[in-house]
Amino acid sequence: MNPGDALISVRGVTKRYPGVVALADVSLEILAGELMAIVGENGAGKSTLMKILAGVITEYEGDVFVRGQRAHFRGTRDAEAAGISIIHQELNLVEELSAAANIFLGRERRTRLGFLDQAAMDRDAASLLEELECAIEPGRPVSELRVGDQQLIEIAKALSLEAEILIMDEPTSALTESEVARLFRVIARLRARGVTVLYISHKMDEVFQLADRIAVLRDGKLVDVFNRRSTNARQVTHLMVGREIEETDVSSPRQPGEVVLEVEHLCLPWPGHARRWRLEDISFSLRRGEILGIAGLMGAGRTELLECLFGASDERPRGRITLEGRAVDFHHPSEARRAGVALVSEDRKRLGLFSDMTLAANITLCTLRQDLRMGLVSRNLESHRAREVVAQLGIKASSVDDPITSLSGGNQQKAIIGRWLLTRPAVLLLDDPTRGIDVGAKAELYRLMDQLCRQGLGIIMTSSELPELLTLCDRILVLCEGRQTAEFSRAEATEQKIMEAATARAGVAAAL
Amino acid sequence: MKASPDSAGLLGRLARGHSNELGLLLAIVAVAGLTTILSDAYREKPLQNAEEILRQTSLLGVFALGAAIVIISGGIDLSAGSVIAFSGSVCASIILALAPVDESGNAITSDLGVGVFAIAIAATLVVGFLIGTLHAWLITVVGLPPFVATLASLVGLRSLARVYVQEVTAALTTTGKTTQIYVNDEAFSRLGTEWWIPLCIFLALSLAAWLLMSRTVVGRHLYAMGGNEAAARLSGIRTDHLKWLAYCISAMSASVAGILYTAEVGTANPQVQGRGYELNAIAAAVVGGCSLQGGVGLISGTMLGVLFLRVVIDAVAKSVKVGADDYEGIIVGLLVVLAVAFNELRQARRGSRKQFFPGALGLVAIGILSLGAGMLATIMAGRGAGSAVLAGTLVLLGAIALVERRRAGDRDAGARLS
Repeated sequence: MNPGDALISVRGVTKRYPGVVALADVSLEILAGELMAIVGENGAGKSTLMKILAGVITEYEGDVFVRGQRAHFRGTRDAEAAGISIIHQELNLVEELSAAANIFLGRERRTRLGFLDQAAMDRDAASLLEELECAIEPGRPVSELRVGDQQLIEIAKALSLEAEILIMDEPTSALTESEVARLFRVIARLRARGVTVLYISHKMDEVFQLADRIAVLRDGKLVDVFNRRSTNARQVTHLMVGREIEETDVSSPRQPGEVVLEVEHLCLPWPGHARRWRLEDISFSLRRGEILGIAGLMGAGRTELLECLFGASDERPRGRITLEGRAVDFHHPSEARRAGVALVSEDRKRLGLFSDMTLAANITLCTLRQDLRMGLVSRNLESHRAREVVAQLGIKASSVDDPITSLSGGNQQKAIIGRWLLTRPAVLLLDDPTRGIDVGAKAELYRLMDQLCRQGLGIIMTSSELPELLTLCDRILVLCEGRQTAEFSRAEATEQKIMEAATARAGVAAAL
Repeated sequence: MKASPDSAGLLGRLARGHSNELGLLLAIVAVAGLTTILSDAYREKPLQNAEEILRQTSLLGVFALGAAIVIISGGIDLSAGSVIAFSGSVCASIILALAPVDESGNAITSDLGVGVFAIAIAATLVVGFLIGTLHAWLITVVGLPPFVATLASLVGLRSLARVYVQEVTAALTTTGKTTQIYVNDEAFSRLGTEWWIPLCIFLALSLAAWLLMSRTVVGRHLYAMGGNEAAARLSGIRTDHLKWLAYCISAMSASVAGILYTAEVGTANPQVQGRGYELNAIAAAVVGGCSLQGGVGLISGTMLGVLFLRVVIDAVAKSVKVGADDYEGIIVGLLVVLAVAFNELRQARRGSRKQFFPGALGLVAIGILSLGAGMLATIMAGRGAGSAVLAGTLVLLGAIALVERRRAGDRDAGARLS
């Protein structure tokens, strides 16, 4: 096929990061007017590919052709000029500015005297938003809006740019059911206008509802491209994972021991917010040798719940937390650490990793006191302990003195888990531990968690992927907008039931 | 078989981990060597010159260590210059208050006992601790950015010191209000003038700082906090306590410097003492490899950074001969820009060529740089040299800009053609 036949033609694109190949020699043709779904597991390279097309990533090997012309975007502006807009999973808005100001950011309308033409921008913004079924005032600050409305503002921005190609990166991950339905109507309307859509997702139902063609990525490689009609969800899922999902013998029943953590009527205030409570009346217990999963949409309060248990929340939680039979009230993570609670946070790069430090220093950070010899840190003792962790968890690195940034995401995550295991915790909190980790490393993490659990550790984990919770957890607690809407045992839990509980409040609203 | 790669690895690691220090060491030798060739001063009195450079290095180094520790921990302390002035005033005023009085009611500040100085120095260090604590409170509890908190004391403390000295002199001397306090004791003045005393103090403090930063848990946590404060807190590190420590170290090291500078000139003169020194200290730390983003930097690098700064300043002083002090600011400014730009370039990935003079901004920058160079050359070597340098810089930078533009143009054209 000539580059001219396709709207976008990707030829042999490779993107390397230190320690990991995010994209390996990917070639893909996107036809004008189609909706192509890009599917793959976390870390498969979907977002990397889209960021290259949108000019966010500017350094890569290989070529991209748009309308037959070779294009090497040096910024999102270049891509926008070529008619490509991207809606990131984590939205890209200036929270303090109004909806209208965000839509026209960088291309503000002006009066003849050169001043901002607020009236014109508000008018145009209002008509764009109306077209998107979004009933918000253009003058409202973005920070006051719900995630679903914020997303529509990004789409309005793309429309105002007259984008012909719209890239959407997992757009439904934070939406309620009614918002998803509205988004799908918007997508249908965009397509009627001739907009080409690249839709990134790993949710099969969405993909099969929307897509004309489906491209499957795995471990940075393009596995195959299908017409929707010539395939089915099973086949696609199978290719995404690359093998029969290994039933890592985590399914064999574990024997939970005595209760190690008991949470009663936990509430977390949310000052200055209409909902008043970030978390409201949460009660559950955790036994030794048990994995408790916490499910919920983005913004449901999963991370906040773990932070409360770790003494890391901004506001003081109310209610009662009992750890190993004693009531605890942590004011600072240091107290939680000493009491035997460990938290591996969700955003590894921002909240977990010390990127200026070596692998050894990252591992020993919380327990460096054990390496003191006459009051001074002994590098030998430190390396020795770090090497033990590296061996125990199977971290792949040539030396513990390597910079932590030279390791792949999965190995970095293991190093952080290792850091916390050294503190000998009784309860391990894992906030979306497999985010951004490739498939192989995921399976290893699952085995590790199972193994730790069998050694008597109590684990609470969250995940944005339901299948993960379903394979790993003994029980699953479902949160919706800060409330506990259901608790399922492993036997009862299904994706359907969990999704219903996770969107329970939206469902109530729709019924009314 | 096993030993040789290991030892090569050790050497290699040493070179890799300390490339910045090695570079500085080479630069110091180069500058000193060049000055020896260009000026007679080093050849005629090598020992005297070396002692003077070491003495100046030590005085600056004492509080540059404090600045480096704050910077590594992810903060910034702009107050050092005023803390020096304030501490000097406090130290001198206590000496004045404890000194015996002659029959006409004037304090005799010569031949004082060790006890007087011990009390004065201890009290001054306590003042440093209090200033550091105030900074930590403003930053961790009130929530001010470190820049604002320490900027406020940069402005406020000097003014406070001036008022304080006037009040003290009005109360304790017969001459009434003055703006300075004199200390005539010879032993005290040796603290700042005898070259090896500040040097020993500097080396002792450096050793302590090195032990703290590279061999203790607290030091490791300071690096961690500087590199990623949120992650440090979530690792159970008491970041508020660490900041308290860092700002106290910084303020107390400035207090030590304040005592030494007061001893050097035998006067506490808060109007001029230590003015602008905070930037010299920050510059030394940055030249020594500390990143203003925090989390990166070494005590050894900072020590060499201070030495390099003083060697260059001295080299310029020796070659210009008159008004050398006036050049200090220019040198410090240039060195900081060069050191940081050099680090950026080294870290920038190969393949991505940086364009230094893009667009209109680049054209104006070429003009500014050429004018600056021409102006400096005119002042140092006369009008003829000035014009030559101006024209030369203009042509050179213009050529660089042309090449850059052509290369960028090629890339665009290449993208369009294929």
